[in-house]
Amino acid sequence: MRRRSFLAAAGAGGVAALAGCTGGGDGTATEGGTEAGSETGGDTGTDGTTTGTAGGEVPELVVGTYGAFVDAPSTSPGPWLKETFESEFDATLRYETPDSEVNYYIERALRNVDIPADLYVGLDVNMLIRIDENLDSGLFAPVDGLDRRDTVKESLEFDPRGRAVPYDTGYICIVYDETFGDGGFTAPETFDGLLREQYSGDLLTQNPISSATGKAFLLHTIKAKGEDGYLDYWGNLQENGVRVLEDWTTSYTAYSNGEAPMVVSYSTDQVYAHEEGEDLAKHQLRFPNGQGYANPEGMAMFEGTDRPELARTFMDFVLRPEVQAEIAVRNVQYPATTTAELPESFARYAQEPPEAVTFNYDTLRDNLSEWTSAWERQFVGN
Amino acid sequence: MSGPPRGNGSSSGTSVRRAVDALRRWGERRALTAVALLTALVLGLLFYYPVGTVFVDAVYAGGEWTLGPLADVLTDPFYREIFRFTAYQALLSTAASVALGLPGAWVLARFDFRGRETLRSLTILPFVMPSIMVAIGFVATFGRTGTLNAVLGALGLPEVTLLYSLPAIVVAHAFYNAPLVTRVTTAVWESVDASAVETARTLGASPRRAFRDVVLPQLLPAIAVGATLTFIFTFASFPIVLALGGYQLATVEVFIYSRVQNLAFAEAASLAVVETALSLGLTYGYLRYEARMSSSGRGARPQRRRPLWPASWTQRAAATRLAVAGYGVVVLLVFVAPVASMLLASVTGPQGGFTLDHYLFLLERQQTGTSYQVRPLTAVRNSLVFGLGTLALALPMGVVTSVLTTRDFRGRKVLDALLMAPLTVSGIVVGLGMLRGLVFGTVVFGTRIQVTGALAVVAAHAVGAYPFVTRTVAPLLGGLDPRLVESARTLGASRVRALLDIELPLVAAGVVAGAAFAFAISIGEFDSTVILAEGSSSYTMPVAVQRYLGRRLGPATAMGCVLLAVTGLSFVVIERFGGRTGGRGGF
Repeated sequence: MRRRSFLAAAGAGGVAALAGCTGGGDGTATEGGTEAGSETGGDTGTDGTTTGTAGGEVPELVVGTYGAFVDAPSTSPGPWLKETFESEFDATLRYETPDSEVNYYIERALRNVDIPADLYVGLDVNMLIRIDENLDSGLFAPVDGLDRRDTVKESLEFDPRGRAVPYDTGYICIVYDETFGDGGFTAPETFDGLLREQYSGDLLTQNPISSATGKAFLLHTIKAKGEDGYLDYWGNLQENGVRVLEDWTTSYTAYSNGEAPMVVSYSTDQVYAHEEGEDLAKHQLRFPNGQGYANPEGMAMFEGTDRPELARTFMDFVLRPEVQAEIAVRNVQYPATTTAELPESFARYAQEPPEAVTFNYDTLRDNLSEWTSAWERQFVGN
Repeated sequence: MSGPPRGNGSSSGTSVRRAVDALRRWGERRALTAVALLTALVLGLLFYYPVGTVFVDAVYAGGEWTLGPLADVLTDPFYREIFRFTAYQALLSTAASVALGLPGAWVLARFDFRGRETLRSLTILPFVMPSIMVAIGFVATFGRTGTLNAVLGALGLPEVTLLYSLPAIVVAHAFYNAPLVTRVTTAVWESVDASAVETARTLGASPRRAFRDVVLPQLLPAIAVGATLTFIFTFASFPIVLALGGYQLATVEVFIYSRVQNLAFAEAASLAVVETALSLGLTYGYLRYEARMSSSGRGARPQRRRPLWPASWTQRAAATRLAVAGYGVVVLLVFVAPVASMLLASVTGPQGGFTLDHYLFLLERQQTGTSYQVRPLTAVRNSLVFGLGTLALALPMGVVTSVLTTRDFRGRKVLDALLMAPLTVSGIVVGLGMLRGLVFGTVVFGTRIQVTGALAVVAAHAVGAYPFVTRTVAPLLGGLDPRLVESARTLGASRVRALLDIELPLVAAGVVAGAAFAFAISIGEFDSTVILAEGSSSYTMPVAVQRYLGRRLGPATAMGCVLLAVTGLSFVVIERFGGRTGGRGGF
């Protein structure tokens, strides 16, 4: 009776599934640490972090970050960082890459669930604002006592409360394809130029609500056109056929397939194109109005960490000149410090904008959600 | 038929066996109830509870109950317009999916040709394609410099610009959903009783008339299932809309996503509540229709299929074959070209030359990848294990649900609609609820109860998958002659035995179709997989595709091809295996 035994097996499997479910956290233990802390720490809530390692064992630093930082198919800085850090210090480094990135930790804090991570790497100003709008506590603790704190470029500092320490930055600009159509395509030099008839349907950008590059481009237009002028500008841009897609990957794919000759992207575009042996004519850069919008990434230490010393050691390590250079190359971003020793190929193919622009924390905190929602209502409503 | 062997009681050695038999009969009597309870438990724990935690945000704010957020959404003309547009594009997408899917069912059900069964199995493949891959394939096929324009150009025709418009969204939705229409309709078409058609023909009906009066009424419920599901899915569509339409064609789901991203939960939940209410209402409407439509007395002898290459070329035969050929061209363009583009991208280097680098990357990642990186073989293994687990759980759940809901009792349609709810709630909301309610857990008597890990992933997949089993089995089950079960029961068979020995073999086509769906749902599922498998090694093939995206697409497309190959093979196996054990001739 094959069918009956099948049903019996299925029934047993189902019961096992549920038993497993209520047991909680089964199968989630990863190498090194156990997750015991997160299962039973419910009653205390705040101070119970993972790794209940007894004295004498190698301490573990848990670093939350975004997936591409450890797992991009090209070169992600994560594995190198872990290896180098562990080879020098008496500690292990464990990565956590929640799908919803920093929102995951905000959610945990909102629900009074303890946070197992010690550090977060990959914070930008928008996330910081989201944290401050939703949590009374800042989620992260201010960082002091770093030896190399003052080597970080002043212009990249984005947290007035000193929690986020910038470790790299991207400059967002327009990448264009000289070979498009019959060849000889050039992107306009100004924002107004994008409105010209000849560029109709030529620009791809990204959703300013969920994509970092898309948000940077919207903010750049607000910089250029002012709070009172950006909506009109976008109205004209829309009339001229700008396309706002979901994320960087979809828009860049469409661009690579010759769908449009211009895409909003990073000014380090050529570094990667060069490494891959691609035709650089398809990776030309244009800084509209001679400006690039800076979007620095930072690292920060969770308030509840029980390893603040180790976390600070890690941050200092990341700010070292040679580590800064390595992160820049592997993450294809600019270093955040003045002391990084960049290899020649990077210096040659990455371009810094003539003028870097960005909104500071306070301005964004007061305006960001209004700006984006007004934009959204106008752009979608049309 | 083999009922449990009955001992005659004279031998003392049979007492043990008698006890076992008694136990087995007791088990059989309780089996339906047990699976029903299990279904309720899994549903409550992995669907209603988590989704409830999100929906509460829509009606509970600042420590009190309120209708404010809901009223805000309902009275905002901007959102009304968004809902209107969302419904409009879903309607167009549904029409396109049915138009594209029905001829497929006709070809698969009524023609015989080499590879028919394999082709039939593979119709479910689009269902598992990660949306990013579909977007990539569509840009390459329908884009400015894509395949379609190359073909048009070669024929001296003007080029078309299809991308970033409503038609692009509609065609992509048809890519996903037309195969669904094809599958559910084929399953029913294949169980149309040949004798009914023959009777009509003997009574003087033309083939067309016989089709209209005998076959079509039986197909309509299946077509309606396909159309309803397509509408519900495309109503909640989001990645495809943004990737191929752009933000100016945003749907409700896009806004839910963006509100969740900004942690504006009250607004997100309100939008989701309205969206779900509309989808559930539609489901309820469909179920009422289905109940009216189900016909009884379906027999067991399927119609004979025609050879694709006719014995003699009459005018009629030629015209039919021309139609099949024309449909083949459309299929090539809409289904094969995007998938072929992905295949091509996986073996193309940055300069356009042939390369195996991307597959080498997969090998290399397999060998040297660290524990926190995604390894291809682990992803393949997890996907298959979860898929089989989902089958084992969703198949009984779905079959029992369809038995329950084909019985007559008050409030049956409401219950049925509630059981279908996993299809109608947006993936983002389910994901968010799982994160808050299950991954973070709840404190009960000082202990935090959490639900994570591989078993939770399987259970979550089963929740999403079993409605497909129900919806492919229930209409067929409802159409069976109730006297079949009654006589079996009179002869002493338990309800379970009657189901296993009489009903299921008669609706085997539906069960196998449902099984394939369950497997496909599990393979393609993304949201709850990443959330419930958080921090563990329980990632699947679509997760790997997502992780391998970067500045170059090669590794992701290579992984996408692995996904297609593995799942394609699995579907063929499921349907061949299912076909054998189903014990139905011609299937």
